Amino acid sequence: MQIEERGSTHVYKVNRISKEEIDTMVERCVYEDPPFCNAACPLKLDTRTMLGAVAEGNLKKALQIYEKAAVFPLILSMGCEAPCEEKCRLCEKGDGIAIRAVEAAVARFGPVSRQDSIFRTKKKKSVAILGSGLFPLFLAGEVEKKAYPLTVFCEQPDLDGFLRCETGFLDSDAFAQELKRLEEKDITFVFNCEFTEAFLEKQRTAFDVLCVSQEVLDGLAPGCAFDSDLMICRETCLVSCREKGVMAAAFGAKKAALTVDRLVQNLDPSSNRGKEGAVASRLYTDLSEASALSRTPVPEGGYTAQSAIEEAGRCIQCHCEECMKSCSYLRHYRKFPGLLAKEIYNNTQIIMGDHQLNKPMNACSLCGQCTVVCPNGFDMAHVCHLARQNMVSTDKMPLAPHEFALLDMLFSNGDAFLSRPQPGFEKCRYVFFPGCQAAAIAPETVKAAYEDLCERLDGGVALMLGCCGAICDWAGRIELEAQTTEFLARELSKLGDPVIIAGCPTCKKELQEHHALQVRGIWDVLLKIGLPEEAHGLDRPVALHDSCGARGDAHTQQAIRKLAQQLGCDLVETPYAQDRSPCCGYGGLSAYANREVAKEMTEQCLARSEAPYLSYCMACRDRFARQGRESRHVLELVYGTDAGTPPDISEKRYNRLTLKKELLQEIWQEEPMESKLDFQLEYTPQARESMDERMILTDDVVAVLTDYRLTKEAVLDEENNLLIARKRIGNATFWVKFTKTGENSYLVHSAYSHRMQVVRRNG
Amino acid sequence: MANERNYYTVDPEGKLQCMKCGIPLVKGKAKFMYLDNGFPVELPVCPRCGFVYVPEELALGKVASVERALEDK
Ligand code: SF4
Ligand code: SF4
Ligand code: SF4
Ligand SMILES: [Zn+2]
Repeated sequence: MQIEERGSTHVYKVNRISKEEIDTMVERCVYEDPPFCNAACPLKLDTRTMLGAVAEGNLKKALQIYEKAAVFPLILSMGCEAPCEEKCRLCEKGDGIAIRAVEAAVARFGPVSRQDSIFRTKKKKSVAILGSGLFPLFLAGEVEKKAYPLTVFCEQPDLDGFLRCETGFLDSDAFAQELKRLEEKDITFVFNCEFTEAFLEKQRTAFDVLCVSQEVLDGLAPGCAFDSDLMICRETCLVSCREKGVMAAAFGAKKAALTVDRLVQNLDPSSNRGKEGAVASRLYTDLSEASALSRTPVPEGGYTAQSAIEEAGRCIQCHCEECMKSCSYLRHYRKFPGLLAKEIYNNTQIIMGDHQLNKPMNACSLCGQCTVVCPNGFDMAHVCHLARQNMVSTDKMPLAPHEFALLDMLFSNGDAFLSRPQPGFEKCRYVFFPGCQAAAIAPETVKAAYEDLCERLDGGVALMLGCCGAICDWAGRIELEAQTTEFLARELSKLGDPVIIAGCPTCKKELQEHHALQVRGIWDVLLKIGLPEEAHGLDRPVALHDSCGARGDAHTQQAIRKLAQQLGCDLVETPYAQDRSPCCGYGGLSAYANREVAKEMTEQCLARSEAPYLSYCMACRDRFARQGRESRHVLELVYGTDAGTPPDISEKRYNRLTLKKELLQEIWQEEPMESKLDFQLEYTPQARESMDERMILTDDVVAVLTDYRLTKEAVLDEENNLLIARKRIGNATFWVKFTKTGENSYLVHSAYSHRMQVVRRNG
Repeated sequence: MANERNYYTVDPEGKLQCMKCGIPLVKGKAKFMYLDNGFPVELPVCPRCGFVYVPEELALGKVASVERALEDK
């Protein structure tokens, strides 16, 4: 039994996911969509971050953010119509955030960062603005920010007069602050101008781009056609604005500044502008925990810094985190699915170099919970699954993380496989398929269930002990999956293609997908034929954990609840139940690829309730018990069995073999061939524990010792008197440290392995 | 050769015996190979039968980390 190791030099491309497909998938994640307040702002103010900074008391940072959108923060905040406010999600629960009042406090009290415009290198092309008012003022700010040499021509006699135009709503303090801001800008002013035709023509030759106020445009080119998206009169090639109002002027100035950029580069002003102005946002915000709140009252004269901080503290910082809240894997890697999916896709495209996303790609449990909790149905499992298949197809998938599980599957469908019709039948109406984990973890329960089904169902019940193929499916091994399907199909047909009674929801799903036979859950059969006498629930409340194999299968979820009820179980409701249930950490082979993530998954499952757990998948039962929680499979309650302490990896194999042997003897009266060992092995407790951790089986140790007894090849470590022998098995070399305790008996102190091959070399 | 490059050296320091040949292991030349990559090392080897010994600390430490790195290539 061996799986071939990949080579490292194969270089060819397979694309199981296209770039377009991944882009469409990634598009579904709205994590990066702007919050609603931000989306509604034509100036694209990053409201959320600004409010966050204010809430932290960092007014300096808040002002820096605000200044990116607002060149004259006091003017904007005191005059803006605030389209953001009515879009605030909190409006649905009470008062939305008083964004404009917070901005005003930021503009007034925020410490100004040092202006270094003088030290910036200026661009070559020059710009002139003719006229005064809000639009010329804002445009001057925007153009200066872009580092063009700028001259403003106005009718007023001084700067004070220029700034006063259309800003009558400012109080004297605010006016003084903005005057100072204007003075610090690197702008040349020419006062007392008269805008005649001749004056205009003169400036046309002196500057690369001319911008004018609405009044100047109307005076010099009355009634000309004006493009208010590009802020230009194409006929006269004058940049201007035809709307009044603070926001109109501020937004107009932003668009006009972009047009200036295009004009100096001799490009058409419409080229390459991206999305301007307010946009629609698809962001999802969970409001379930936001309560109806009211605004911090805005006094005459605006917020103090303190009341602004208080108001900003009400902002819930809209983010979509539904998947992060529920999936410990995503939390572990701290990446929202859109980005993670893109990176995992890129990982599949690397031909030479490090595949740094291998671990995250293999750590997802493919459980599908994200798809259910995500408001847009983002399917991370699909991405990771396709990526794994892709990596396998290009021979870039490391075998190491999945090899143990794959070999275990081959074992289940090899040495431990059993397929027999019920004695007295050649073909059967049913076949019981308990699943590889049930045989490994609760063999007594499997036996009891099979005997019960044989007794109470007509038409013959065959038994099939094996693996449904989920393991190779999860590992992305398409070929192995096809072989497994073919193998099982052959065996099923020998039994007369019976109705499959699955003992595990994952087997049920997997078999349903690959075999054209009827598949039922044993829970459905039990509901139909009634519970056996020995069935009874626990005498204390239990938390029901829905298996990820039953996601989307409401019928099974309900059947289990009914069964639990008939057993007399007192079920505790848990958050994240049924379709929203998290994975125990076994799914998708997570536990093999990243033990830490899998453990976090188990912990997350158990955090939902203090009660003992009831599950209907043996893997869940096993992981919960390992984590120290009282944990039972529903079939244990049905058949009055107790699988007890979870077995280690070697015991899991032993259990499967023993179950097969006992059933063959007891039910089919067959004496299985057994090769008896001619020596005895014992293990120190530490050896056994570390073997489980290192994924080393007692079978591996036996093989090493058998080899040693033949070849006598070993090393003696004189420091501790341990003998050390080794054997290459499959893709790894296993080493065993042992002492001889008798003629034919040994005590194993430790075992370890490595995948590298080691050889002697000359020179 | 004095300047020969070895990725790793383990000296048996006379404390390891080859059981088959009944003689001490000595520091000898060996090579790790994995996924078409090779690394020269010096490990305890039996001068007669050529048994190469990989100590537990080496297998679980350096060797394991190089394996992980190569697997993701
Ligand atoms: S739930 Fe997660 S995947 Fe879905 S949109 Fe929100 S952040 Fe994206
Ligand atoms: S709660 Fe905050 S982030 Fe959300 S919409 Fe309102 S202001 Fe914007
Ligand atoms: S572990 Fe489950 S919920 Fe988390 S990303 Fe993977 S499929 Fe989605
Ligand atoms: Zn030797």
